[in-house]
Amino acid sequence: MGIRGSNIILFLGLALLYGQPSLAQDGEVEFNMALSKDQLGINERLRVDFNMNRDGDNFEPPSFEGFKVVMGPSQSVSSSWINGKRSFSKSYSYVLMPTARGNFTIGQASIEIGGEIYKTLPKEVVVSEAVDRPNGQTTVDDVVGDNLHLVAELSNSDPFLNEAVTVVYKLYVGPNVSVTNYRSLDNPRYTNFWSQDIPVGRHEVENGTYQGKPYRFVVLKRVVLYPQKSGRLELEPLSLEVFVDVPTDQRDFFGRTIYTQTTKTVSAGKRTLAVKPLPEAGKPANFGGAVGEFDFSVSTSKQQLNASESLQATVEVKGKGNLKLFQLPEPEIPSALEVYDPEYRENIQTLFSGMEGRIANTYTIVPSYRGKYPIPSISFSYFNPRTESYVTLESEQIDIEVLEGPLSSDAVVAGSTPNRSVVPLGQQFHFIKLKPDLRPVESTPFFGSRTFYLMLLVPLMLIPILIFFFKKREAIASDELGNKIKRANRLAKKYLSTAKRELGNKEAFYVALEKGLHNYLKAKLKIATSEFSKEKIRDILTEKGVDQQDRDLFIELLTNCEMARYSPFSEVQMQEDYERGSETISKLDKQL
Amino acid sequence: MSIKKVILALGLLTVSLGYPQNEALFSEATEFYNKGEYTKALENYGKILENGQHSAALYFNLGNCHYKLGAIGPSIYYYEKALLLSPGDPEILNNLAYAENMRLDAVQQMPQSELAALYKKVVSLFTSDQWAYLAVGLVLLFVMAYMGYYFLRTANHKRMALVGGLFALGLGILCLVMARLQLQQTKNDNPAIIFSKQVKVSSEPNTNSDVIFTLHEGTKVKVIEELGAWEKIRIADGQTGWLLAENIKKIKEF
Repeated sequence: MGIRGSNIILFLGLALLYGQPSLAQDGEVEFNMALSKDQLGINERLRVDFNMNRDGDNFEPPSFEGFKVVMGPSQSVSSSWINGKRSFSKSYSYVLMPTARGNFTIGQASIEIGGEIYKTLPKEVVVSEAVDRPNGQTTVDDVVGDNLHLVAELSNSDPFLNEAVTVVYKLYVGPNVSVTNYRSLDNPRYTNFWSQDIPVGRHEVENGTYQGKPYRFVVLKRVVLYPQKSGRLELEPLSLEVFVDVPTDQRDFFGRTIYTQTTKTVSAGKRTLAVKPLPEAGKPANFGGAVGEFDFSVSTSKQQLNASESLQATVEVKGKGNLKLFQLPEPEIPSALEVYDPEYRENIQTLFSGMEGRIANTYTIVPSYRGKYPIPSISFSYFNPRTESYVTLESEQIDIEVLEGPLSSDAVVAGSTPNRSVVPLGQQFHFIKLKPDLRPVESTPFFGSRTFYLMLLVPLMLIPILIFFFKKREAIASDELGNKIKRANRLAKKYLSTAKRELGNKEAFYVALEKGLHNYLKAKLKIATSEFSKEKIRDILTEKGVDQQDRDLFIELLTNCEMARYSPFSEVQMQEDYERGSETISKLDKQL
Repeated sequence: MSIKKVILALGLLTVSLGYPQNEALFSEATEFYNKGEYTKALENYGKILENGQHSAALYFNLGNCHYKLGAIGPSIYYYEKALLLSPGDPEILNNLAYAENMRLDAVQQMPQSELAALYKKVVSLFTSDQWAYLAVGLVLLFVMAYMGYYFLRTANHKRMALVGGLFALGLGILCLVMARLQLQQTKNDNPAIIFSKQVKVSSEPNTNSDVIFTLHEGTKVKVIEELGAWEKIRIADGQTGWLLAENIKKIKEF
């Protein structure tokens, strides 16, 4: 009723129509023939209607060859006023029964309207063998079956693993029936899928086509699916019990169709999805199953703080895709920081196209000690089904600076958590050193080198050498005669070296010898004796307590020196005088 | 001739100027550091190293620059190097602690017996070279004491020289042993610092084997063995595994 309810139809009695015939005179004249069916079994009946939109006279039906008129002709006239416009229709109806099988033609009918004769077009009817349900009445179920269709529409029949697929269940309703209510009998369980229902608020009737015919349809259910397995996956059908109003062939007193209410179980056919696995080529090592299009970020609430204050580090992924179906990457936080378990937050809306929104893990971090703590960059990978490629996003490194904090020398003991390793810190981070103290990089090790062994062993070898020398000196000290000679030689070397050089050269030798003797006295007595007489020298020597014998020897030598200048002296005598000189000096040396 | 002489003179000049030039680079780097231009300071220090000179101070400053730039691995690496040249320097130890707190890995130190700790402490008191110098000095002392014993006259002095000499000799021999032990220890000890952000340590030196554990930048490891491009490492808690040599940098390679 609701379908027709919008029209205001006024049924008028025959008498009323005949009273105002002139009003239907404008517009085209239509006269046609309608068959209830163009194919029927021999045991069925055919209804033929001749309709016209203007009243006419002299109606002549066709001959209906091959049929027998079971009923008719029956006339019906209707006239209506819609928005001040009047419409009129009149029909002659016949019910025919075929008499034989075969192809028959319903011939032309004619009528005279406004002085002109109009004819209908002939139509072919096929009469076939008898059917099971001979009475031409279609059952309510037949009508409903033709007019109700439940269809599951897939947004994508070959998605990738974890790519969103939307299933829309539409109930197509034909023009003849009206749906009053429905009840779902069996809600499909989407095994191997992660599913989320998108509730349909109001059922709005839309117009569409189903198999080429115009239908009205209602969206009953929308589901977003994320396949969790690759391969061919079946969707279980959705079954509904639909309450419908179906028109019957019966009419009420006013000629309106009488509707009966019935229920019908409809189900959407099984659908299969060919789920493609994610490509293995180029799959990042840290891929955690995220499929879609995402943004990734790691942030901290502050970057500079004092120890024992807290800060929040947030790892966030936002975008479109299977947000609920993967794990967020974990940040790597220096082991010296105290980190608490993360707090998971999500803000996800499931839209027609899939999940959209953001998920975040918030870590509370409490630094205990001073220092700089870098949180290194972490990466997040996802598969973009649109470009069919993997995308890896990197977060930025964050440096946390703890400006003030306790000294941690006693903190190592306090650090009870085994997971943390805090190295004790000094009060300050020291400035660089200012003195370079550079030395060559290439340096040979001292230990084991030749110098090392030399330095180690040479002193030890010194011991026997030194002892040897020491012993030798002892021996020398004990040898008196040798010593005397030695001393004489030494003195002679000192004072008589010139004389020794002139040995053999008489004049020069004795001059040098005399000079040497005087020099000796000069050095010993601090008196220049060269101008003194021999007596004077003798006196001085006596004064110094020199032996008589040695004194005479010294004087004799001096005399010799003087005498030798004027008398011949042999080489042997010269040698003798030199030796006597050195002997005398060494003897005098002991006494002076 | 004259040109050759000039070239020779120039060559000699540059050789003799080599050291002052490095000193200039060093002080320039100090200014850069103070102004916060750490990368420039790093360049200067790098040049000094290229010129074939180094020092604990240089490595310490390199470590500081890297710390300021937030590079965990290099800063720890250079502090450790500085410590190698100047063991026990409190400033280096302090800043190394700062750098070590940036690390991601928390490796528990393996417990050590008290005796082993004492032994290690004593042996590590000096480097092998320092032990060697000490031994040389003590031997010299012994020689002097021996001579004294020989030359001194009074019995008391002689006795003192004898006792002192024998004591010096004993100590000298001990020092030699220590130098030898220390050398052995440093030869066996081949520490390295992880430079890659993340390294998977596997059970065998190939890519097919299982990953035992994962290490991060800045962690100190000890290299035990080598096979091709792979190195067997041990971490402080005693676990061992193989990793590719490109991921680590050995502290003792100058």
